[in-house]
Formats: sequence, structure tokens, C-alpha cells
Amino acid sequence: MNDFLSMSGYGKYLWPAFALGFGVVVLNLLLAWASLKSAREQAKRRLEMRS
Amino acid sequence: MNWVWFHRFGSPPWVYGFAQRWAPWFGGIAGVLMLVALYGGLILAPADYQQKDAFRMVYVHAPCATLSMAIYTTLAISAAVGLIWRIKVAHAAAAACAPIGAWFTVATLGTGMLWGKPMWGAYWVWDPRLTSELILLFLYLGYMGLRAAIEDPQKADKASAVLAIVGVVNIPIIKWSVVWWAGLHQAPTKKLGADADITWNMVWPLLLMLLAFFLYFVAVFLIRLRAELLRRERTANWIREVLA
Repeated sequence: MNDFLSMSGYGKYLWPAFALGFGVVVLNLLLAWASLKSAREQAKRRLEMRS
Repeated sequence: MNWVWFHRFGSPPWVYGFAQRWAPWFGGIAGVLMLVALYGGLILAPADYQQKDAFRMVYVHAPCATLSMAIYTTLAISAAVGLIWRIKVAHAAAAACAPIGAWFTVATLGTGMLWGKPMWGAYWVWDPRLTSELILLFLYLGYMGLRAAIEDPQKADKASAVLAIVGVVNIPIIKWSVVWWAGLHQAPTKKLGADADITWNMVWPLLLMLLAFFLYFVAVFLIRLRAELLRRERTANWIREVLA
């Protein structure tokens, strides 16, 4: 396990790179959902004001 | 040829429904493929004879870099379609691409810096590939900033579309910078077939990860496109139906 985490001594660069890359993958998804939720709420408010 | 199916993509309610139906499928398949590719890249692929295990950065850096360029190209084409044929959905698609592409450009630069330090001895050098990728980030930020700065949506669409189209000249510069100019960033090494530069056990996780990232982009793009359409079609009757 230690060998795997060490990645022949490059683990201190490799794991942060994976964390950054896949962190952006997760972040993009969360931000997209948040944007959709906010747009839906705004649209609902507009419709309520019109009616 | 019957092009009626293509015309549907100009209809906001149809596109909204399409995005709602298909985003979970693209996202789900992308998630499964990413896990398989990670297993292949981190466990099954052998260490490189020169870079040792540091080469495994390719399984995150290359997909991020490819997406950063592909998303900008999609953005520019969408913006051009919107500008030329005045299709609202195309402008919405361009706007939906921008934040996703900007984040992947940040990831490209960050993972590249983390790969550069052990290989080149420095996190950052003003290499043509790194510099042109940094310019790509500024283009994304400029596009989003310009859109945000103009209140009238139609004027914002037009101005940002011009910027997007002009900026697309940077994409071939990024792609070919490693061939045109001498720099620290390595030239492309991946070839498939009999003259492949790397073993298949290293190649397939990379190809699978690239496919997974593209499918993931489609999923996130469709979610963002729905949000864009809801914001643009402020008073359209179809919005009442989809929100019911």
C-alpha cells in the first residue's frame, strides 16, 4: 500500500494532481446543479409575479 | 436528406426536454468509465521507464487539456452559429460551455504545474504550450466577463460571440505549439497501431478516460444549458409547463 501511495517517490505531485483534476470534475457538476436550481427558482418567482 | 431532426435543436422547449432526458445517462456512463479508466491507469498500466509512476499524471492532465480546447472550439462554433443564423439556443449553448471550459483550463494548468515540477524542476516556465493555455484561460474569463458586463442579452450575445470567434485562433496555436517552437513541453507521443510509442496497457486507460471526460462534459453542459434556457426564455409559456 505504501508503495502504491508513494508512486516511486512522485506521490506528492501525483495525488494532488488527481485531486485537482477530479475535484474540478465534481465542482463543475455541483456548480451546474446550483445554477439550474437557481434558474428554476427565478423562473418560478417570475411566473408567480405574472399570475 | 431530411434535416427536420436538426431543426429541432433550434427549439428551446425541445432542447430543454432533450437535455433533461439525456444528461443523467451521459453522466452515469461517464462515471462508470472514469472508474474503470482510473483502475487501468493507476493499477494495471506499467510504470514508464523514464518518468516512472509520474507518467500516470497523463490520465488526468491530458483529458483536462483536451477538454479545455474542445470546449472552447464548441463554444466558438456555437457562438458563430448564433451570430450567423440568429439561433438563440446556439448562444445559450456557447454561454453554457464557458464556465465548464474555464474550470478545465484551470485544472490543465494546475495538473501541468504538478507534473512540470518533478520533470522540469519548476512549476512554471514561459513555454509556448503553457503560455498559450494560460491565454485560453484569459479568453474564457474575458468571454464570461463580457457577457456579464452587458445588460442587454442580445448585445451580450453578439459581442461575446465576436470575442469567442476571434479567440478560436488560439486553439491551433496550443495544439501545434509543441511542434512549431522549441520548449520544455513534450511533443505528442501517442500513436496507435504498429508504430505505437507506448504499450497498449498504457493507451487504453487514456482513451477510456478521454471518452469518459467527453461524456461527462456533455452531461454537465446539458444541465447548464437548461439553466441558460430558463434564464433567457423569461416569459415563454413552455417554462410554465416544464416547471409544473
